[in-house]
Amino acid sequence: MNATEILTRTRAYVQDTFLYMRPDFVLRDEDRLLQRGVIDSMGVMELLAFLRSEFGVTVADEDITETNLGSLADIVRYVAAHSNGNGNGNGAK
Amino acid sequence: MCGLAGVARRNPSGVSLAMLDRMSAAQRHRGPDGAGRYADAQVGLAHVRLSIIDVAGGAQPLGNEDGSVLIVYNGEVYNYLELASELYAAGHRFRTRCDTEVLVHAYEEWGTRMLDRLNGQFAFAIYDRPRRTVFLARDRFGVRPLYYSVSNGDLFFASEAKALFASGEVDAALDPVGLDQVFTFWAARPPRTVFQNVSQLEPGTYAIWRDGELQHGRYYSLDYPEARDENPNDLESLDALLNSSVSLRLRSDVPVGGYLSGGLDSSITCALAARRSPFALRTFSVTFDDPQLDESAFQRLVAGQLQSKHHIQGIGAADVATVFPEVVRHAETPLVRTAPAPMYLLARLAREHDIKVVLTGEGSDELFLGYDLFKETALRLFCLRQPQSQIRPRLFDRLYPYLDPRGRRGDFWRRSFLEAGSPDDPLFSHLPRFLLTSRIKEFYSADMRAAVSRGGAGGGAGPDALEELRASLPPAFAAWSPLNRAAYLEMVTLLSPYLLSSQGDRMSLAHGVEARYPFLDTRVFELAARLPTGSKLRGLREKAILRRWARHVVPPAVEQRPKQPYRAPDVPPFFTPTAPEYVEDVLDASNIARTGVFEPAAVAGLVRRCRAGTAMGFRESQALVGILSTELWHRQFISETRLEPSTVEAGGA
Repeated sequence: MNATEILTRTRAYVQDTFLYMRPDFVLRDEDRLLQRGVIDSMGVMELLAFLRSEFGVTVADEDITETNLGSLADIVRYVAAHSNGNGNGNGAK
Repeated sequence: MCGLAGVARRNPSGVSLAMLDRMSAAQRHRGPDGAGRYADAQVGLAHVRLSIIDVAGGAQPLGNEDGSVLIVYNGEVYNYLELASELYAAGHRFRTRCDTEVLVHAYEEWGTRMLDRLNGQFAFAIYDRPRRTVFLARDRFGVRPLYYSVSNGDLFFASEAKALFASGEVDAALDPVGLDQVFTFWAARPPRTVFQNVSQLEPGTYAIWRDGELQHGRYYSLDYPEARDENPNDLESLDALLNSSVSLRLRSDVPVGGYLSGGLDSSITCALAARRSPFALRTFSVTFDDPQLDESAFQRLVAGQLQSKHHIQGIGAADVATVFPEVVRHAETPLVRTAPAPMYLLARLAREHDIKVVLTGEGSDELFLGYDLFKETALRLFCLRQPQSQIRPRLFDRLYPYLDPRGRRGDFWRRSFLEAGSPDDPLFSHLPRFLLTSRIKEFYSADMRAAVSRGGAGGGAGPDALEELRASLPPAFAAWSPLNRAAYLEMVTLLSPYLLSSQGDRMSLAHGVEARYPFLDTRVFELAARLPTGSKLRGLREKAILRRWARHVVPPAVEQRPKQPYRAPDVPPFFTPTAPEYVEDVLDASNIARTGVFEPAAVAGLVRRCRAGTAMGFRESQALVGILSTELWHRQFISETRLEPSTVEAGGA
């Protein structure tokens, strides 16, 4: 799966899960999700479950950091690097 | 416990007894044992009574020797026997054995300065006929409520807002700024309420009505004159005061029971009460189907040690949903948690066992720094003093041990605390909670947003809830330690307006049960406020001095137990297959749109996630409870009133 596809799916998920009540909210790829109040620590748990089911990527505890998951762009980089070409995990549509 | 109501006309145009009766009927649950009223051309007083002291003789309104001073009163003044002897020595003569009459003579003797002498939980109105004044007052910590409204120059007052509306002369209209405070602090901040043109007397204050004017005064201010070191006598003083406080609160002509949560505080109040009780104490607990919320093992342990007659109210998801509309009707405000619902059922259980007075442990967490919020404040300060440290923020992982462990560790969790606000902000301690609660506002409709921002006095830019709170802080605030500032904010934003009200007074008196709070004795508060912070929060050990003292009072397992917050299930009750029918109706897009507070599309998104079982965490659970309760509140109080810009103009009063 290419980066654009990962970004599109992740963005749709974030909009649908965390921003459904704020339709006017403009989320740029580099926006900090925590600072902009998009995702909190409970939200991160949901995001991790999504990454697992959608891309087959299991994020190790020590990888749950701002650097890896802080923005849409960070998430795409992380997922691309960890899906190893096997990105179509079990849960992929 | 009782309910009071009344009216004071600017001009002596008469007060109808029928109106007073309607006001009383609206709050009859507070006093099912009797009712009385008084009216002349200018002033009317009404009272519903729950007989606790001098069951035969305490009918109200009650007057002095010549009937020139009349009182309606809700509450208890625990040192009334001591005051009565003092007043007797000064020449006053008593017709009853009731604390109510003591207040009448105290007013004659000391005027408004009488308030300095009262140790208790009370609200009252005293009509001084020769002076043509009405004197309203409320206790120091805001245990008992007192609402009022000035309408066409006339003053209306009552224990509950619904009695004001029952007068037929006070309209129930939504106050967007009051509502916005609920979605910031969990409750409107006194004197504001969620109703336009309805105020509540602030704790520790009074007001005097004369010639159509209401003048306010404060007789008590919270203060924290913290000592540098613990005094060797502090433990002994704590022992003496808690014993005395419980003894005073057992003064009653009817049996007194105890609420028992299984935590340290209610175990203490029940243990001290059991020691003094001539018969087996009756204790009452809620248990939860959800093991994460349930504390029954500790409850059984304490009840066993005290050999109390223990009664249990089991709470399943369905129970919360079933009673929630009644809970909102009694609370008279939107809520952001369902936690009042089990308290409503617990009071019903006590009443079914003929108990109408209970001791309960509220206040201890505020006085002795029991809440996780205080630890969080200490940790945030600790980390911000050395911002480069990688080690210090790891301490955050030890906070909130009752939350899902997967969500409370790591980078995101730690940063959420570190980035929550500057230590220079007076609201530093509470910003994480206020900002989290404020996420509910993301669901506001455009109309509601506009109404809040227009809601300021004079129709200008509306007061931001946080700015208004900052502006209200007392001059001494800046000199207090950060944790005492946090304790103060907890007392004024949450304890009185939410815990003692929505979860306390309104839930217990829905069933004619009076709750008494030994930790909220003025003397206990003042001792706690003098203690060095380290005596209360020692490292990350909360309520340290109280635990030290309690070692010989409660079982070791309870003494050593970390604080577990009282919580009830928030989302699941409303989305089980057996959820009551009203839920779907209330959350229907057209009804949400008609009420106008929330955006129907946003609510639909939330409902979708709740149905799917994916709405996790406080952000969404508080929004769901806030939206549901707003709709239920609106239906029961405001009905057809729309949130029009024109209704906003009077909102800044």
